[in-house]
Amino acid sequence: MKPATLEFVKQQFSEYYRRSRISVPPGLEQREWGFIFLDPDPQKTAMRRHLAFGTRGEVTEYLRTLVPAHAFYSAAYYAAPAASTMGEKGWTGADLIFDLDADHLMRGPYDRMLARVKEETEKLLAMLTDELGFHRRDLHLVFSGGRGYHIHVRDLAVRGWGSQERRELVDYVCGTGLDPRAVLGHAPTRAPGWKGRYMRAVREYLMWLGGPGREEAMAHLTAYEGVGKEGAARLMEDLDRVTSSLEAGDPGPLLQYRAFRTIAAAGTGKLSELVRAGAALADEPVTTDTKRLIRLPTSLHGGSGFRVTPLDLSDLGGFDPLVDAVVFGDRKVRVDLSLKVTMPLLGSTHALEKGPATVPEALAVFLCCRGIAEIAGGGRG
Amino acid sequence: MRGRLDRKDLAKYPFLKEAQEWVSGRTGSLPEFFSSNYGRIAARHAVERIREAMEGGRPPAPGPERLDPDREVYAYAIARVLVSCTKDRLLMDRLSRYEAERAARYLADEQPEKRALVAEGVGMPAEAGDLPVVQYVELASHLKDDRWRLVNREVEKGHVALGDGDLPDLTAERIRILLFSQLPLPVPPAICELLSPLAAEITAAQQQYLLREFGSVEEGAFPPCIRVLTTAITSGANLSHSGRFALTAFLHNIGMNPLQIMELFARAPDFDAGKTQYQVEHISGRSGTEYTAPSCATMRTHGICTGRDGLCTQVSHPLSYYRARKRMGKQGDGSADRAPDQPAGSGHGADEGEKGQQVGKTRVPRERQGKPNQEDDKDEQARSTGEDIQ
Repeated sequence: MKPATLEFVKQQFSEYYRRSRISVPPGLEQREWGFIFLDPDPQKTAMRRHLAFGTRGEVTEYLRTLVPAHAFYSAAYYAAPAASTMGEKGWTGADLIFDLDADHLMRGPYDRMLARVKEETEKLLAMLTDELGFHRRDLHLVFSGGRGYHIHVRDLAVRGWGSQERRELVDYVCGTGLDPRAVLGHAPTRAPGWKGRYMRAVREYLMWLGGPGREEAMAHLTAYEGVGKEGAARLMEDLDRVTSSLEAGDPGPLLQYRAFRTIAAAGTGKLSELVRAGAALADEPVTTDTKRLIRLPTSLHGGSGFRVTPLDLSDLGGFDPLVDAVVFGDRKVRVDLSLKVTMPLLGSTHALEKGPATVPEALAVFLCCRGIAEIAGGGRG
Repeated sequence: MRGRLDRKDLAKYPFLKEAQEWVSGRTGSLPEFFSSNYGRIAARHAVERIREAMEGGRPPAPGPERLDPDREVYAYAIARVLVSCTKDRLLMDRLSRYEAERAARYLADEQPEKRALVAEGVGMPAEAGDLPVVQYVELASHLKDDRWRLVNREVEKGHVALGDGDLPDLTAERIRILLFSQLPLPVPPAICELLSPLAAEITAAQQQYLLREFGSVEEGAFPPCIRVLTTAITSGANLSHSGRFALTAFLHNIGMNPLQIMELFARAPDFDAGKTQYQVEHISGRSGTEYTAPSCATMRTHGICTGRDGLCTQVSHPLSYYRARKRMGKQGDGSADRAPDQPAGSGHGADEGEKGQQVGKTRVPRERQGKPNQEDDKDEQARSTGEDIQ
């Protein structure tokens, strides 16, 4: 980032922090804070951490004065959050965090990634409430400002949990560690939770196997290490019988096939895809890390310039990050793009060629933060 | 009609409130008690109990007719006081495990009414039905078998359905967690002073035990994941922060001193003595927190669980692997040197049986968890202290 670009972004961020009401988490004085500052060298992302604040006013003052590129606080609660070692901090608990990031789901245009991760978030919210039994009032949904959503679960019953307990929940939502023998028990496809989801995935898989193209199915099956031609052929011959047994609630015949067990345990391929389609693919290390720093809702994300936006659960459906998380206006700004970009923002799609262009301020902030544009020669046009 | 617990029952379940009330009503002052003949005998039994717990074998559970209620209840209580005085978390963990397993053995043969009373005493339901998700996870997250994973259970509206076969294990786990959570007991310093000869005896026995368990460092018994890390370092590869942490903590845990660990790291071409020394000393406890190597689950999370072999499917911690392999080596089973060449086991299906047998000849401890909870926490803690993002 060139000095003029850095100055531009800093000025925009500074204006935002001056005019905005910043929210702070409950248990403020027990949280550790960390900030990353704008730096001309993108490799230098030193975080200033082990900070603590007593009031919302102090947090706001800090943001207005130092104008960081990224602002984080700890999901954890500490007796002495400003202490420099974990031992001295005195961990007393942590919010339960789920992080959904489109980066882990797919590659593609930014808006498509955002749409995909929203679906995942909807699945996760449903699992957290309908299955795991969390109250909607304890779930705090936040658009991360980047490519995803965070869910902060503030339920006292789980605050003291260690990584291992948290892992059970994130493995549950991700469908990690499913054991066919355990979940395929007498489960109708409408069974709640993973029993039903897994059953539906397996049924669809068997139908897919039995679909047109035996050659193709054989090739698919034998591609798995440990599945031989004979084993695959036996399963294919018996496909109708094992499917109807399964429909009748008896997975026994299917589970007898080593080929099926191998495929079910493999974690890749068609069956795995079908199973994962039912999962909510949250990022495991974020949930199991009981000392994670998490973005401050209402702060700005230095990699996009978008607002880290808290949302009511019921507003997720209508939320469009490319409109609702944009806090800058449409004053014209001259930028110099390092590559060709097509980007929808604030309701219009901008198709920009490599080189100089005049764009709305909000888009300029985004492009500069992403590192794909610099402020052109004379600064603002 | 409700059953009642008699004194023989209290001998079997000495952690129940009734048992402790019964003792505390009869003991008088502790100094007097410990200087009495009876107190001395009870204290000896307590030391025995801790030794048995330390060895980690199956706790003896003699028939009720051979149980002396006084002796059992006192030995239980004094053992807990003693481990509290040693301030040793590992001992507290072992003792809690021991007590829970002992109780489980008795519960297995217990009449339903009594079983219900004990369950109730530790806050568990008396019969199958369901448990709230939160309570279930707190118990089951420490149990190793795949059938306990939440993802494999029927979960609906915040409740986990339980089968008949589930309760005994969950109740035992509940007892373990409960007993461990109460330790260390707030023992007055004067009492610990009075018991210091016994505490010293326990500490000495533990030293011997650890020496026997770990003894000299045998690189040949390292689990595959650790071997990969040592090879990587020797060949000059850059280890990730979590890899470096796992390796250092592991080597520290098996008894290598910081200097020896430094020597290993020094084989790397990009060796930075100052930085390495800081990291090694930090992980080996100079900062006040002594770190334990990450569990298999955490290693998997960080993508550094590599080269899984047959033995890996039977342990949940790299240290358990090392211990088991060393023991196999000592018993003259050539398997200690056998290359871990089995493919990454799927873990499913009866066909896996043959793989298991190779290590099945020697007794592999059914290490349900080591102390993974703390391990995981410490690992995460180390990861996020920020050394990696300065």
